[in-house]
Amino acid sequence: MAEMKSEATQPVVVTQIAKAKLTLAEVQAKLTGKTGRRFWKNLDELAETEEFHELMREEFPRQAGANEWVDAVSRRGFLKVMGASLALAGLAGCTKQPDEPIFPYVKQPEDLVLGKPMYFATAFPFPTGAVPVLVKSDAFRPIKVDGNPEHPMSLGKSDALTQATLLDLYDPDRSQHVVYRGENSTWEAFQQAFTAAAKQTLGGQGIYFLSETITSPTLAEQWKQVQAAYPQAKLVQWEPVNRDSARAASKAAFGSYVDAQYKLDEADVILSLDADFLGGIAHPGFLPLAAAYAERHRYEEGKPMNRLYVVESMPTVTGFKAEHRLALKPSEIAAFAQALVAGTAPAGATDEQKKYFAALSADLKKSAGKAVVIPGEQASPAVHAAAYALNEALGAVGKTVVYTDTVVPMPSEQLADLKSLVAEMNAGKVQWLVVLGNNPNYSAPADLEFPTAFAKVPVTVHLGTHVDETGSVATWHINKAHYLESWTDARAYDGTISIVQPMIDPLYGGKQAHDVLQTLLANPQGSAYEAVQATARGYIQGDFAAGWRKALHDGWVEGTTFAPKSVGAPKAAGLAAPAGGGIEISFRPDPSLYDGRFANVGWLQELPKQVTNLSWDNAALMSLNTMAKLGVEENDKAELELTGRKVVVPVLVAPGHPDDVITVHLGFGRGAEAGRVGAGVGFNAYTLRTTTAVLSGADAKLTKLSGTYDLCVTKVHNIEHRGAFAQHDLNQPLSDANGTYSLAGHEAMERGIIRYATLEEVKKNPDFAHEGASGSLVNKVGYGVEGETPKKDESFFPDAWNYEKTDPSSLKIQNAWGMAIDLNSCIGCNACIVSCYAENNIPVVGREQVKVGRNMQWLRIDTYFEGDLHAPRAHFQPMACQHCENAGCEQVCPVGATVHTPEGINTMVYNRCVGTRYCSNNCPYKVRRFNFLLYSDYETESLKFMRNPDVSVRSRGVMEKCSYCVQRVEAAKIQADKENREVRDGDVVTACQQACPTSAITFGNINDKASKVAKRKAEERDYPVLADLNFRPRTTYTAGVINPNPELA
Amino acid sequence: MAQVFDRSSNALARFSLVLTGLIVIALGVALDQLQRSPWVTRQGQRPDQPVPFSHKHHVEGLGLQCQYCHTQVEKAAYAGIPPTKTCINCHAQIWTNANLLEPVRQSWATGASIQWIRVHDLPDYVYFNHDIHVNKGIGCASCHGRVDQMPLMYQQNTLQMEWCLNCHRNPAVNLRPTSEIYNMAWTGPSSDKPVWCSSTVKGGATAQNVVCTTKDPNASGPEVAMVEGAASGAAVPNVDGAPAAPLVMPATYVKFTSQIELGKYLTAQYHIRTPNELSSCETCHR
Repeated sequence: MAEMKSEATQPVVVTQIAKAKLTLAEVQAKLTGKTGRRFWKNLDELAETEEFHELMREEFPRQAGANEWVDAVSRRGFLKVMGASLALAGLAGCTKQPDEPIFPYVKQPEDLVLGKPMYFATAFPFPTGAVPVLVKSDAFRPIKVDGNPEHPMSLGKSDALTQATLLDLYDPDRSQHVVYRGENSTWEAFQQAFTAAAKQTLGGQGIYFLSETITSPTLAEQWKQVQAAYPQAKLVQWEPVNRDSARAASKAAFGSYVDAQYKLDEADVILSLDADFLGGIAHPGFLPLAAAYAERHRYEEGKPMNRLYVVESMPTVTGFKAEHRLALKPSEIAAFAQALVAGTAPAGATDEQKKYFAALSADLKKSAGKAVVIPGEQASPAVHAAAYALNEALGAVGKTVVYTDTVVPMPSEQLADLKSLVAEMNAGKVQWLVVLGNNPNYSAPADLEFPTAFAKVPVTVHLGTHVDETGSVATWHINKAHYLESWTDARAYDGTISIVQPMIDPLYGGKQAHDVLQTLLANPQGSAYEAVQATARGYIQGDFAAGWRKALHDGWVEGTTFAPKSVGAPKAAGLAAPAGGGIEISFRPDPSLYDGRFANVGWLQELPKQVTNLSWDNAALMSLNTMAKLGVEENDKAELELTGRKVVVPVLVAPGHPDDVITVHLGFGRGAEAGRVGAGVGFNAYTLRTTTAVLSGADAKLTKLSGTYDLCVTKVHNIEHRGAFAQHDLNQPLSDANGTYSLAGHEAMERGIIRYATLEEVKKNPDFAHEGASGSLVNKVGYGVEGETPKKDESFFPDAWNYEKTDPSSLKIQNAWGMAIDLNSCIGCNACIVSCYAENNIPVVGREQVKVGRNMQWLRIDTYFEGDLHAPRAHFQPMACQHCENAGCEQVCPVGATVHTPEGINTMVYNRCVGTRYCSNNCPYKVRRFNFLLYSDYETESLKFMRNPDVSVRSRGVMEKCSYCVQRVEAAKIQADKENREVRDGDVVTACQQACPTSAITFGNINDKASKVAKRKAEERDYPVLADLNFRPRTTYTAGVINPNPELA
Repeated sequence: MAQVFDRSSNALARFSLVLTGLIVIALGVALDQLQRSPWVTRQGQRPDQPVPFSHKHHVEGLGLQCQYCHTQVEKAAYAGIPPTKTCINCHAQIWTNANLLEPVRQSWATGASIQWIRVHDLPDYVYFNHDIHVNKGIGCASCHGRVDQMPLMYQQNTLQMEWCLNCHRNPAVNLRPTSEIYNMAWTGPSSDKPVWCSSTVKGGATAQNVVCTTKDPNASGPEVAMVEGAASGAAVPNVDGAPAAPLVMPATYVKFTSQIELGKYLTAQYHIRTPNELSSCETCHR
């Protein structure tokens, strides 16, 4: 009872089962000598730990025993709630709906048809280049951000961060007022104070701007004008994640700042030197690079396939898509690159590395003119310099790589500029510091002591979307408008200028950097719109009014694409490789949060990170060997130290991570200023980052602390959800002849979840995906022959659903919706998941709930690792509801809440669902999501604007899952019916398909044999997952084909 | 000791058992009736609106067409509630000082919406779509009743799921030619008032698929003359300016004397989906 009371002080949500961790030594011991093609998902599972088996036993294991209800407070609360529900239950049917008001327009906009979305082109200005977007707008509220299909560069593709900017716009924690010394003030008051102060200075002396990377040609133009008026005013651009390496190398090699554009459609061999160009827009040109890579990586008879080599430190999706990946420390990567230039293997290389080096150099030489080397933005300048030299030597310049002007109008080496700014701040030279958009108090290198210097400046101004770490201590804070509320312009990767136009009036009257600079000009009230128009007159050719309208409509300005620039041969730069030694530490922008600017975007926080599937946290990522060396285990709390600065970190293994390196992701550990979502998540890696160790540092120390951290890795959720279903397999490991058994391996390999072959193999046997998937399991109970779909007549109900009925009036065969996912093209970038969030009103559940396996994403990307623990190959498999024709979920639902539509979609009727969760129990794919609590936010006003009006917002106690975007299917059908025609191929595009940067997902009518999806499904490599269960999934996968170098095979 | 309960209490006990059963049944029936009752469905209720707008006056009296106000009924899911501007179009000229119209003038002056109360209010998980119904031959009056005879707007039908399904399971009972969608007085064909329909044998939207007339096309009449004139091959420019294909003369007219016959014919001509598809959950719930 006493225990009860102590617990009762605060409601306890059970977030873990007691785990007796397997020690690393035991893992190692278990795995020694086990090789061969084996698949695994996480370590516990690979080592077959007891806990893993425990996880298998329950559907939602981590709340085993319903401990949530055992503690007194929760139980009482539960009874109270239940009492209320019981009382209401009898009346529910008889309650009247409340009166619903209608607020019609006073003057309705002429071209508005309420209920029909409108689409407007704009662009998301990002420091690596603008992302052209098409925004879906419902009654002028943006409700979805997608790629702009008419843009010549992006061709309608999209990415995770851009998709998530929608939630950023509606973030309820955005700053809503101008603040002066903690009191609400007005923009006019700021303008008065600023102009008055500026006029008193000697030509602007003492006025300093610290801006995020300027992406807008108009802003650069305005800055020129400010400089003309105030020649002594200074502008420094700085962002924590910047392109300094590329800039420094470009300056050294070519004498000027140039950007490199890679043409991967021309490249047979690609070498990435720590470049995560398939990971997201953190790498410049992600969209065209990923699309071109995937197109050339698609297997088609007679079409040459490309081959990707990746030399990298932190394992990324790019590394795992590579045919050959080499894990090196950051310091070794530079040495490796320089050795490639020199042509001799790097000193101190292992045999394996030497072999890799030889094969790679030979392959590159062989494909000279059709090879390309891409350096990573977070690699050292030496790597960039080596890449310039290599591309020159390979004859790539002008073919697979071209040099152009920089995408940003005012390129600079940002760190050096920041250092001199801080020096001047400390010297008292800075009177006014105007911070435009960034958050240096949080993210500046720790040794600069930026907050101290900031406090010394008499007047500080912060323009930002949040009252963040900088805004809260600034004299003035000005609430910044989101890009979806702004007029500006920006260049995309290929140089094409897009006009950024507002989708909605600033929700909180926010201002832009344009407005701040305009304050110092002759016409302080001039709008951003006028400023952009003034610059646009320079780059829009022909009749301006028509050109302007066309630019706004198309989302880009014709004739602004960069022409290749002749820069001559790169000079030997003499840039030194970064210092290595001891345990190295590598700083990376987070694949989901970037530099921390998206910290308050719940979609991105909850998004399982690429490769590690870590959600809601960052961790010190390292290899198994390093963990053993440092004496830590996964989930341990540890203290990470670099040059005397310390931070407490959790430890997590990253498969394929090089030894003696720790990778930490930036952007976490925000204070309360970040907002309700981002505050207190993870640790702040910026506190370790110094001006001498910006990208990587040497001699880091990691000390184990007592206690564990309990990271939230979603990787095992889907496995553990399988419960007894998987238990059956575990108890009968018939195939474990070699002692290499693992559940994921068993499923991936023997049940053929993952099927792939090398180019050689597929040429010999094009039907490989259907042969020998499961030789040893023939005739085993519960399995069909060789893991293939059983014949129809083996069923008791061969014609239970016939999907080839003809319509009596049109004599056309009915629609049958289906999906095909090409595993060769899937790069695991997560764009589809975020797109699904926005389209289907999926709630964010929070860290504690994700930990107990209640994350609500309808779509997940399963990462299967294969082979060596230290250098695995990985396979990405997007997994959502498979819309089985013979669905197990439907057969067990007691209330008919999940039913089949005549066109073969497995549909959820939320209103019927009573929450038994039988369906999830019976789903072998584990793709159903249950609203255990009231996850959808019905209260926050700003979030209501964001919701897709065509999709129900689900309440507590309701099961949900991928619907094949049934709302889009129905809209297409209604349109087609009105026009008295069939739904055409391409009329229905699902949200995931639309976002996919590599067109891996195809959706359509499989009864229409001419449709893209039917053609994909007719391919020999097409296979269903877990087909032997006779569920007859409508989603099928195209088996991957890789193109390894025979020398390295 | 005497028995506590008299023998007669046996009957009482039996009676009370029966009574309990009856009460339970009565409760069930009452609840069932209650949830179908106008009190819950709001059938026939006339909520207090800011302006006592009379459809009867505007439609029957003045002859305004439905789409003058409900402009997007053919184009979108919502029929559209007219903006204040639509009222002001006329009421800037007539009844400019009427007290009843004060909220309209107020709205026009201040820019604040007139706050109506929704009469036809479906639950939020129902995705009803006006345009497909209107385009496929369901008249306004089929769901909304004789709006032209309603001085104050009210809900004619229950709008409950069973009511929707009545039609989705057998749309033929309510289908009418698309030319008669806005005809409030349409009653369907009968032996007194037959309807002649013919396929135009041309593609395009549903509305262009069938020509129907209530006058015997075999007797000469103005409508037939129009059809013949069009059939002579003169290209009539389309709305969007492009010259339209010459109208093809309807081959033969079929005479209908009952709604069921007409409904079956239109179901085929308009390519109405099968009852199986129409009553599938995802048609209305997403």
